[in-house]
Amino acid sequence: MTQADFMIDREQFSKLFPFHFLLDANMRVLQTGAVLARICPQFCVGQELNDHFSLFDLSSDRAKRITPELISRRQTGIFIFESATSNLSLRLQAIILRDPERYLFLGSPWVRTLKQMQLLQLVMNDFALHDSTVDLLQMTQTNDIIKRDLYQLVADRTAKLSLANAELSRVMRSKDDFLSAMSHELRTPLNAVLGLSESLAEGVYGEMNAKQAQSINTIAESGRHLLSLINDLLDLAKIGAGKMELELNNANMEDVCQASLRLVLGQAQKKNLNLTLAMNDKSVMLMADERRLKQILVNLLSNAVKFTPDGGSVTLETMWDLESESLMFSVRDTGIGITTEDLKRLFSPFTQLDSKLSRQYAGTGLGLSLVLKLAELHGGSVTVESEIGKGSCFTLRIPGKGLENAIRGGDKGAVTISEISPTKILPSNTPLVLVADDNEINLITVSDYLRANQWRVIQARDGLEAVKMARQHAPSLVLMDIQMPQMDGLDAIVHLRADNQYAKIPIIALTSCAIGGDRERCMAAGANDYLSKPVNMKQLVKIMHALLPKDETR
Amino acid sequence: MYGMVNKSVQALVTTTFGIDKWESIKRKAGVKEDVFLSNESYPDSITYGLIGAATEVLGMSADEILFAFGEFWILHTAREEYGDMLSSAGRNLPEFLEYLPMFHIRVALIFPNLKPPRFECSNRKADRITMHYFSHRPGLSVFVRGLFSGVAKLYNTPAQITQTKFKDKGDDHDEFLVYWGDAAKQ
Ligand code: HEM
Repeated sequence: MTQADFMIDREQFSKLFPFHFLLDANMRVLQTGAVLARICPQFCVGQELNDHFSLFDLSSDRAKRITPELISRRQTGIFIFESATSNLSLRLQAIILRDPERYLFLGSPWVRTLKQMQLLQLVMNDFALHDSTVDLLQMTQTNDIIKRDLYQLVADRTAKLSLANAELSRVMRSKDDFLSAMSHELRTPLNAVLGLSESLAEGVYGEMNAKQAQSINTIAESGRHLLSLINDLLDLAKIGAGKMELELNNANMEDVCQASLRLVLGQAQKKNLNLTLAMNDKSVMLMADERRLKQILVNLLSNAVKFTPDGGSVTLETMWDLESESLMFSVRDTGIGITTEDLKRLFSPFTQLDSKLSRQYAGTGLGLSLVLKLAELHGGSVTVESEIGKGSCFTLRIPGKGLENAIRGGDKGAVTISEISPTKILPSNTPLVLVADDNEINLITVSDYLRANQWRVIQARDGLEAVKMARQHAPSLVLMDIQMPQMDGLDAIVHLRADNQYAKIPIIALTSCAIGGDRERCMAAGANDYLSKPVNMKQLVKIMHALLPKDETR
Repeated sequence: MYGMVNKSVQALVTTTFGIDKWESIKRKAGVKEDVFLSNESYPDSITYGLIGAATEVLGMSADEILFAFGEFWILHTAREEYGDMLSSAGRNLPEFLEYLPMFHIRVALIFPNLKPPRFECSNRKADRITMHYFSHRPGLSVFVRGLFSGVAKLYNTPAQITQTKFKDKGDDHDEFLVYWGDAAKQ
């Protein structure tokens, strides 16, 4: 015996290889390991291998007979022997011994799970300690547990997420509702602030000294600024909720441009700016929502005025863009200009709020994004070019064709279309109200409120226009401001009452002067009721309902 | 210790005392984790903190809790989560106990940060065995007694478990006699 040779007895060998077996040249059993003998007792000394096991071959479904030749041929590979009588498979390595010819197989059961192991009546201790089968089985089992742990975690988080998602969309939906409700709520007290400061400024409550007058002006100005912000916010919320409806009319563009310029004229004069209108076609008509179009232009114009230094100029220019079949409105100024970087972010609401730009352009953040949204609702666009120190040019494009296709309903009078949900179109039997007021803010405020409360609204800006509109559209009810240019409200009422057709139409007089005897004068002229400004909108609507013929109230 | 241990404490408390008690225990122990992950390693102080807080919140002694936790670990956590691993360790109580010295070594292969206890057996008789428990962690001998009790129940084998050596009383390690002979059946 050399130093490397050693003897090992049968019991020790069986401990190391509890599943081994030894065959003679005829494939008969000479010896088996202790655990194999326990779980496979029929496979005992003298038995022929092929009576108990067959070769598992991945490449064929037919069980192969195991012969000495086959073993010799494949002796470097892994043998899988399948039991003929049980679920046992053995994973083995073959060793061929000579003189005498013997075949020794070493290995252990081929199992994938601990469960499978148990089904074979095996426990961990049945495996040799050097055999890592058990470790592998434990590892796969634990992996399953870890996987299940993670699945649970993922499921947990997914559930939380979808809950949060549902909550989020609920919040988003209610956000728009909240915004519009809130805006209305905010506007009501603001109306009082504006109305009362107006009355104070007009000396209704007695003369004021210069300092008081100045303060009241500041209050009114801030109030108007706040109101315009609230209006913008409301509009943005409406657009966001797909509830913005355009009232498309065949509108005269010169009127629209002139009216828009008029609204910034005061501002421009204060700064000595040169305000010009250049139209290459003064008779051009366009299917558009006049009020919204003015809103866009006033927004662009007042920005231009705001950022143009004293003595500069602001131009509104219109011309056809044949290529896009649209009318271009360019608002050009000689102002401070905008950097290329800021241009990119100009139209996105809120994102610019903390940038240098927003501080510089204070109060315009909402306006420009609203301008863009309103233009898009018209199927149009807004673009801007600018050069630092030289000025900017904002160009609005409103399509002149194609938009007609979007119009639903007849071609007479105001047509309401809904961009997003056609079901929102107000039925033509909803009462039509004529609101006559020369104060743009009042006009917009009252009209918005009524529209939001499901009335159809047409507008007039002086007494003459009021009479004309009433004859044209035969409204169900008229709200008549008293102090108006051209023809005041009292005269307008008298005119309407003189016409047999309009003798019965309910008219509510609104006046900002709370001077004694006002009421009597209004009623004498033919008004059905009278309210002094600031108007409590809820009260107004209540009175309107009371005055409507029964079949028209909703 | 691995998260599975803390998870098991959580399961024991919530199933027997309710989720509110568990939340107060966690709060008292200053534990911030929402969930424990089985295969994540946490500082031992968390587990000790939880047990400590549980004695206060539940008004039980540490020994009562540790013994209950030992049984719970075997009869619920290990049986439900690692049932195959447990039942593959032996066909009966003595076989299981004899295999226990190997058990955590195999577990350690799976959990690389495991600092498992070490068990040894001696004096195996037909109706008893002596189990030796070694650990670098203090104060867990009652937990181990609970574990043995749980294992005996797992195999439906009435057994008496007696601690015969006490590390915290100066012995070299903790030692237990597990007896399942006839006298244990009464
Ligand atoms: C499937 C069954 C089991 C698993 C998966 C398992 C796993 C673990 C794990 C992960 C730890 C924590 C150690 C660390 O994270 O560092 C632990 C600790 C422990 N295990 Fe087990 N174990 C099992 C069964 C048992 C059984 C049957 C006993 C005894 C009868 C036992 C006795 C202990 C003890 C006493 C500790 C405390 C730690 C210490 O003393 O240092 N375990 N085990």
